[in-house]
Amino acid sequence: MALSGDAAFWGHLAARSRQATSFSELFFLSTLRKKAKLPANESVQPKLRLALIGGYNLYPLHELVAHLLVTRGVECERFLGEYDNFVSEILDASSRLYAFKPDLAFILPNASHYRFSGSLLDAVEHQREAAVGAAEHLLNLAQTFIKRSGAAVILANLALPGDLDLGSFRSRTLGADWSFRKAVNLELGLRAPAGVQICDVEFLSARRGTMAAEDSRAWYESKQLGSPDFLVDIAQELSHLIASRKQGPKKVLAVDLDNTLWGGVIAEDGVEGIELGDTSPRGEAFKAFQNHLLALSERGVLLAVCSKNDDARAREVFEKHPEMVLRLEHFAAFQANWNPKSDNLQRIADELRVGLDSFVFADDNPAEIEIVRQFQPQVEGVLLGADPAEFIRRLQAGRHFEPRNVTEEDLERTAQYRQERRRTELAASVTDMPAYLASLEMRGTIKEFDPLDLPRIAQLIARSNQFNLTTVRRSETEIQGLLGRPDYRCFTMRLEDRFGDSGLISVVIAKIEGGVLVLDTWLMSCRVLKRQVENEIMNEIFRLAEAAGCATVRGIYLPTAKNGMVAGIYEEFGFVRTEDSAARKEFELKVEKYQGCSTKIRITRRAYEAS
Amino acid sequence: MKQAEVLTKLQEVFDGIFLEKVAAKPELSAADVEEWDSLMQISLVIAVEQKFRVRFRVGEVEAARNLGEFADLIAKRMEP
Repeated sequence: MALSGDAAFWGHLAARSRQATSFSELFFLSTLRKKAKLPANESVQPKLRLALIGGYNLYPLHELVAHLLVTRGVECERFLGEYDNFVSEILDASSRLYAFKPDLAFILPNASHYRFSGSLLDAVEHQREAAVGAAEHLLNLAQTFIKRSGAAVILANLALPGDLDLGSFRSRTLGADWSFRKAVNLELGLRAPAGVQICDVEFLSARRGTMAAEDSRAWYESKQLGSPDFLVDIAQELSHLIASRKQGPKKVLAVDLDNTLWGGVIAEDGVEGIELGDTSPRGEAFKAFQNHLLALSERGVLLAVCSKNDDARAREVFEKHPEMVLRLEHFAAFQANWNPKSDNLQRIADELRVGLDSFVFADDNPAEIEIVRQFQPQVEGVLLGADPAEFIRRLQAGRHFEPRNVTEEDLERTAQYRQERRRTELAASVTDMPAYLASLEMRGTIKEFDPLDLPRIAQLIARSNQFNLTTVRRSETEIQGLLGRPDYRCFTMRLEDRFGDSGLISVVIAKIEGGVLVLDTWLMSCRVLKRQVENEIMNEIFRLAEAAGCATVRGIYLPTAKNGMVAGIYEEFGFVRTEDSAARKEFELKVEKYQGCSTKIRITRRAYEAS
Repeated sequence: MKQAEVLTKLQEVFDGIFLEKVAAKPELSAADVEEWDSLMQISLVIAVEQKFRVRFRVGEVEAARNLGEFADLIAKRMEP
């Protein structure tokens, strides 16, 4: 392997690093990276300021984290807390921790400090209270830190001990170390506010095996939290959590059919001949895979069929095979034909109005994965392989669909795309656009930022790419900081119509600067394009500008590879361009000159008005 | 196993871990090698324990002041 900056080398290094499970391998890869010439880094993203604090020695964990973050495109400046000094670092407002001005802190408490101090025979309620108290203590520390620093927190929970001590009695009390820490972990997770993300050390240790994760020699010698290999697990998890903070999960899973959803080839074996269902082990494995996909779809991942097949034969399986778990209604798009899969993926993306970089494509055939990789490199390919028993694990290994938060919208997404299809059918039957829009009977609700909406607002801010004027990403903590700011006007819009509820679909963040209302953020979900939502948003912007005493509204457009669709939107509303560089365009319009838009949306509530 | 034999096998471990050529000589210590930081130290101990099928007791490795003493420690732990 050449130690050069060529793309293949870096791709390989990144992929190997992400899959590494042993310290020796990850160390080797990290050394390799340091020796190799760094590729020209075009990103102008500011470095992430990452503080690692806790009850263990954070060296060399932070080196592993830094390596994994670089291979994911995140450069960071690091702060390492003193060993077991994190409580005072957080409580002392003048500590070096705050002077570092972190964007994010990883807090890793020492599990052995969490013990029940009473008796094993104390009432369970009393023991549980102590566990709640321990969890609340950690969460309060995290909250204090967030309030003082404005940074986000990833808080590690506690590894469970592998001691044989107490024997099976350990599960009959909450007073044993094992059960007490388990209780603390449960309380931590259930009580953590949205701004605190949990790094599930308990889960990671169980996944590796407690005995392999523990390393008492490493503790006595250098205060490590576990074995060298377990440090890799923590570093992998932490870098995954950090990288996915501003880069949301994938939205669409496109799957092949033959030997992917069932065993055999439908065109040759026919509906009766394919392997599926509880009558054979292989059929059972395919059915389990379908159940897994169904669960993903219920969580908001859009399923699509992308298969080289005869459309009618393919549909017949979904309609007629009694063991099929997935039915046609579970798919947001269905492309079964003889075109190249890379073309079909493009067609699905157009149909769903979702960018290809939000796609995962799963297939059992390595040749298809390779073709898609070449022609649609933005699509993440998952090779399922030849053994259906491995499919679920292989699909999960990429960690493409892990939600940061599960929102109501996620749970309803597939239904919403189904509604969208009915709208499209209606549009085809009504001849002119105004009549179509009127027939939808749309109702809009505009509201200032509400704490209850924060997860959804954060999700839209993290994910929207196309209808997004500035693509300014903000963490949930940053958004929370905007609540109640008198110099900001921040609002959302929801849309409903006779086919259903589209949910919260647009976000505006505007700042009052002198007599000017500056539109820092305006984004909208593409599934409500051409429904006059943008007109109602503009009406509201000018209404709020006037109410705030602003004479002018200034719009900003920061071009990206994906937001070309809104390049001209301010001018369409009569704004005049006042700044025009390649990286930044600004537009202004006097409030008195704005001509309101009339729409077919009935607005039932406006922002900053009591409901 | 004699110190010289251990050092010969240690050279193989070094060649697999250090990117630069580091000669496994008895007087060598971590301070002599730029690459040899505490990340390297962990990696080296893992590799040595695998190669020689030994398990060091707590504190032993730290007590070795140079490679010669480390080789003696390895030889001692290889004794049945």
